[in-house]
Amino acid sequence: MGAIGIFLAAAVGTLVIGMVASWVDRKVTARVQYRVGPPLFQPVYDIAKLLGKETLLPERAKGRGFLLAPVVGFAAAGVGAAIVWHANIRPAEGFVGDLIVLLYVLTIPAIAVIYGALASGSPHATFGASREMKLLMSYELPLVMAVLVPVVQVVKGGGGATFSIGQLVTFQQTSGWALFSLSGVIATAVALLCIQAKLTLVPFDLPEAETELMGGTHLEYSGPPLAMIKLTRFLLLAVSPVFLATLFVGGLGDAASGWSWLALAGKFVVFLVLVVLIRNTNPRLQVRKAVRFFWFGMAPLAAGALVLAWLGY
Amino acid sequence: MSEIQDVTGEAIESAVLSRVVTALGGMVLEVTEQNPRRGWVRVDPARIREASRIMFAEQKARLATVSGLEVRDGIDMLYHWCLDSEHYIVTLKALAARPAMEIDSVGQDLPAANWIEREMHDLLGAEFRGHPDMRRLILADDWPEGAYPLRRDFHVPRVDPTGKRETNEWAGARDEKKLQQPPASQPKTPKPGRTLINIGPFHPLQEEMEFFQLYCEGETVVDMDVRISYNHRGIEEFSSRLTWDQVPFLVERVCGICSASHPWAYIRAVEEICGIQAPPRAEYLRTIVAELERLHSHMLWIGLAGHFLGYNTVWMWAWKYREPVMDILELTTGSRIHYANNRIGGVRRDIPPDLYPEIRKAVDSLKAPLELITNAFLDDPVLHARLKGVGVLSKEDALRWGATGPTARASGVPIDARRDYPHGAYEEVDWEVITQPEGDVFAKAVVRCLECFESVKIIEQCVDRIPDGPIAVEVNHVPPGEAVGNYEAPRGETFHYVRSDGGAGPVRHKIRAPTYMNLPSFKSSCIGEHISDVTITLASIDPCYSCTERMARLVDAETGKPLGTFDDMVRISQERTRRLRKEV
Repeated sequence: MGAIGIFLAAAVGTLVIGMVASWVDRKVTARVQYRVGPPLFQPVYDIAKLLGKETLLPERAKGRGFLLAPVVGFAAAGVGAAIVWHANIRPAEGFVGDLIVLLYVLTIPAIAVIYGALASGSPHATFGASREMKLLMSYELPLVMAVLVPVVQVVKGGGGATFSIGQLVTFQQTSGWALFSLSGVIATAVALLCIQAKLTLVPFDLPEAETELMGGTHLEYSGPPLAMIKLTRFLLLAVSPVFLATLFVGGLGDAASGWSWLALAGKFVVFLVLVVLIRNTNPRLQVRKAVRFFWFGMAPLAAGALVLAWLGY
Repeated sequence: MSEIQDVTGEAIESAVLSRVVTALGGMVLEVTEQNPRRGWVRVDPARIREASRIMFAEQKARLATVSGLEVRDGIDMLYHWCLDSEHYIVTLKALAARPAMEIDSVGQDLPAANWIEREMHDLLGAEFRGHPDMRRLILADDWPEGAYPLRRDFHVPRVDPTGKRETNEWAGARDEKKLQQPPASQPKTPKPGRTLINIGPFHPLQEEMEFFQLYCEGETVVDMDVRISYNHRGIEEFSSRLTWDQVPFLVERVCGICSASHPWAYIRAVEEICGIQAPPRAEYLRTIVAELERLHSHMLWIGLAGHFLGYNTVWMWAWKYREPVMDILELTTGSRIHYANNRIGGVRRDIPPDLYPEIRKAVDSLKAPLELITNAFLDDPVLHARLKGVGVLSKEDALRWGATGPTARASGVPIDARRDYPHGAYEEVDWEVITQPEGDVFAKAVVRCLECFESVKIIEQCVDRIPDGPIAVEVNHVPPGEAVGNYEAPRGETFHYVRSDGGAGPVRHKIRAPTYMNLPSFKSSCIGEHISDVTITLASIDPCYSCTERMARLVDAETGKPLGTFDDMVRISQERTRRLRKEV
């Protein structure tokens, strides 16, 4: 299978998983709130309906960037999905440093959101963009440090210095999950909260903040571009739990065995439910408190986990 | 000190009124002692500023509102001052004489009078010397200058229904372009580099139409303005064309949630003019319905507060647990929202004794969820981080703005019309006025949560102790006179002034809803906060703008047949009530 084929398969497959995940999110949320919740195909209906709607271009928007941004975000999320799946299914064939590339690629959707929001010319979207920017800058540092913890564990475990996701997975399959250590537990918790912010879900839904900014960053989007943004979020909702599962709980393992796929599905659901529960039991934070939370709460914690990992805990 | 005399020549009995009259000294022109709790003092209009300063600073009174009343010689300004701790309301009267109808602005010293003076300028054409901000408040921006709708000489211009002849006397006076422009309310010095964030006229934060403009530097709000009255319906004017018994049905519709409070305040005023007292059973019945209303209003707010914070679980839970309250209201009065149970002299509908256990059961079933929600609010560290120290309204500011209800009580001002102006069954049951000293959003949430428990207590005691007897006294005639009535609505004190000429209905009916006093206090609590804090602070007063007006008309797009007509609604409600009855 060629590179394009892998990309397409990963993107489409992840999209389907993402739609189901988004349905699970909405259904669980609804049940927690004593509501009925949407039918299984609701995400599909949403997208189909949006695709049939008119694309409105605000008068003050810089049209090209405004319309391009959702596409860039979607493409980047697709590439991220391809890297994660490829590293899981064929751990031996990954390229050196795909972990670093993945971290970069996963920031692109957020940057695309910022770009599109600033291009839309709406003050609400501008505020959303500025919040997204602050959020991005605050959660990236702890996230990178948390991701380094399994890397350090591999170094200490004698696996050699590596930034290849495939090798991280292989190492965990033989020497136990990264989670099974003090540093691993801390790093997983930190990474989970960073992912919550990456997905801009409550308590970190500041860029959209319906009751403050009326949707903020994507306030001005309508029709197909809005559908594109939704699709990007489906992708990220599917990729993020897999990403966590890959780095901290051993990923897929043997791609030929049905059991390991089932196990991965289980890990996926656990991380997804954690994300949904956090989102349903918290209010939205203010910007400065979110920044403080990541810089002075999560970052030192992640640094501590790194030190612990280096010491062998 | 010589004895102070009433206008009738009798000595004043009330110590409070004597003290006030003495303090006002030479400004006083005439004193009327209406009853042991109400006094009316006519003062020299040239010295009204000084009189207001004395009332606020020395007598520690709270300006409830000002009623404007057109009389032969000009506009009579009625400054209603509440001495809450002494259970007394003094009304200072001052005449803005024709032709200028000008008087010194009290609003320049006391922010509580700011809005009401703008309103009187809009509706009555009174002029206020020295008012700091005389922009439109009530009237639409395209309303012609010089047309004052509450004046006697105002008439609605005739428009030819066929549209063929231009008979509109205002033709050309209305400026359609103004409707397209941003509202007139721009702060005086809009600095460059500030971002303008609009909240409204329609915004997910608010259920109703209103227009906040937030001037921001970064995320910090440096200035704010509000434009209200998108939904002004002229209820005060309409009320003066109805009969005494029709008005409660009208004022119920001032607000969809305070629909027990507004009629009660009006009825208290009318009963005072008549000098009658409703039978004890009626007072208990009124209390039960009003407290059920408070419960459902507070739970509605708790839910909305959760929603505004992005905490939708709290929203849905609070509203789910609110439903039993609505069911009980429907069971006892026949309606979830407009109870129509209150009338002058008593109540219209009795609650049969076999419903007592139902009420008790429903109220009992609320205790556990209320505990749950209250604990979720009080113990959640994220909510603490989110709400503590946010949007602080200091005690001094609460007094200056004349804040009422939970907004005032959360700032450590212990006022509650239910206790301060005894009525209903409130004197006979055991309950407490909840106050918190902090003044932040968290304190307001705590006050509302704890008040729910007090309401539960009140309802339980009322159901247990309700006396037998008649539910109303006959009232055949309302004599000439004037009176004020107030009631502690869930959001704060609602204040009504009613004037009778002995005819079939009120000649003037002034309504002051609680939000009217609470909303402008954002100038003190919101400036300097971040946007995310401003939105919850605005919501924390539980705003109720001009309240629900249901004028939407649903039409089937294909056949053009109207859907959801009045008859449909009546049928649906009747069916539901029947079903509920069966279930019970």
